[in-house]
Amino acid sequence: MKIKIASVDSVIIYFGEFISKDISNKVKSVYSYLKSLENDSFIEIIPSYTSILIKYDILKYDISSITIFLKNELKNIKNEDFSSNKLIVVDTFYSTEVGFDLQRVALNANISIEEVIKIHSSKIYDVFTIGFLPGFAYLASVDDKIITPRLNSPRKKIPKGSVAIADSQTAVYPCDSPGGWNIIGRTTFEFFDKSLENLSPVCINTQIKFNPISKEEYIAQGGKIEF
Amino acid sequence: MSFKVLNSAFLTLIQDSGRFSYSHLGVTNSGFMDEYAAFACNKLLDNDIKGNLLEISFPNLHLEATKDTTLAFTGAFCELFINDEQKNTWCSHQVKKGDSIRIGSFKSGQRVYLGVKNGFILKKEFGSFSTTLKEGFGKILEKNSILDFEEFKGTKTKKWHKNYLPQYGNDLTLRVILSYQEDTFSNEAKELFFNNKYKITSDFNRMACKLDGKEIKSNINGVISEAISYGSIQIPNDGKPIILLKEAQTIGGYPKIGSVLSIDCFKLAQMKIGGTVNFKEISINQAQEKLKKFYSTFLS
Repeated sequence: MKIKIASVDSVIIYFGEFISKDISNKVKSVYSYLKSLENDSFIEIIPSYTSILIKYDILKYDISSITIFLKNELKNIKNEDFSSNKLIVVDTFYSTEVGFDLQRVALNANISIEEVIKIHSSKIYDVFTIGFLPGFAYLASVDDKIITPRLNSPRKKIPKGSVAIADSQTAVYPCDSPGGWNIIGRTTFEFFDKSLENLSPVCINTQIKFNPISKEEYIAQGGKIEF
Repeated sequence: MSFKVLNSAFLTLIQDSGRFSYSHLGVTNSGFMDEYAAFACNKLLDNDIKGNLLEISFPNLHLEATKDTTLAFTGAFCELFINDEQKNTWCSHQVKKGDSIRIGSFKSGQRVYLGVKNGFILKKEFGSFSTTLKEGFGKILEKNSILDFEEFKGTKTKKWHKNYLPQYGNDLTLRVILSYQEDTFSNEAKELFFNNKYKITSDFNRMACKLDGKEIKSNINGVISEAISYGSIQIPNDGKPIILLKEAQTIGGYPKIGSVLSIDCFKLAQMKIGGTVNFKEISINQAQEKLKKFYSTFLS
């Protein structure tokens, strides 16, 4: 663990130098612990793959007191197991009708579209971080077989709810957005929802599984084909 | 009915000090681009310094008061007319029902703050009044819309002390705290960075300010995406620095050489495209002293 200055009133804690489930679990354990302190002087606590940024109240802490505080608090944190956490099932309509790159992913893997769907929907994914767009959760890792590089040139507009793959990561676009990920399906599940008190059903500690549904079910859920 | 918007200037936004505690979901902080001018505006009205204001970035805003109140204007120096009579900014003014308030051209600076006694009556969304258009939060002022406030029959007006008035020029020194991946920049790269002027490009908005000038390179191509703080200086692959501002995305993967002291980001918010900046190193301890002083002065 390494604490570094980020800005005049924020520090960043690094837990490792590569992406791994083990390092991510450390991040999640420390994040959960820091949140549980309910310290009003922590203005933002932002976890990512290997790090946590803390923006603190400059009138309550300075660089030396925050460093001492964090070092002391984090000394005895044990790695929690997050696999028993809340599992969210995301109903997904996988089809070339809405999955513009489903064929590309299948060709790249040299397998059938049906196999791509089966492989993508059979795994439980961990959330590694949320960002880029509000509610955009970076999920990993997809099975090695369907690892697919980003598109050479990003699309100007990807429809909200698009389920996508980039390298070993997968995600759902929470709103219409430009983007370069491979689109394989679409969902009506809301990753960013202003009617929810905490804005999103997903956080870094949740897990996600995709559930293939038929076109009829997707339409019945309010899904749209055209864009 | 309180303010009737007779003519709305492009991108006039409701702002306050920002939306906090949702960054872990990718929600940006948003908030006043220039906290010095914004806090001063609220101070002139004896409002909470973090209270809501209009952030005006383009000329020709025209309002009609439909209640008595006291208004304050700070930020960019601009033409201000109340019932066609020219008035000064960086002070408060009493207005009566039916008065016309018009902001004309800007002489220096880029953002005017307009506040009303006790703030505008609006609903907070997730703890803040701040407008972030890309996230669909807050309010943009449109022609013929109404902006509500409580009636207030004040008797006194205030003026910001002339010794504390800002000067908005075309050249600015930004103090930088070396941080994040600073150790991946060679001494030569740092020398280039600190000894050259950079020009503000047209890629300058509430999210970020892209600069043009001597290219600098990190020894690494990118970092594993991590959270970005306000003022962070990203160095993308083209070597041209980007300073992240109030609506920056919450995580990113470019190497960062350091972060601009927030007080200087507030000054940057008033700069024009084509203006120049240079960077000067400041220690974390000095930087924290300056920022503490900044906030304690306003809170006192």
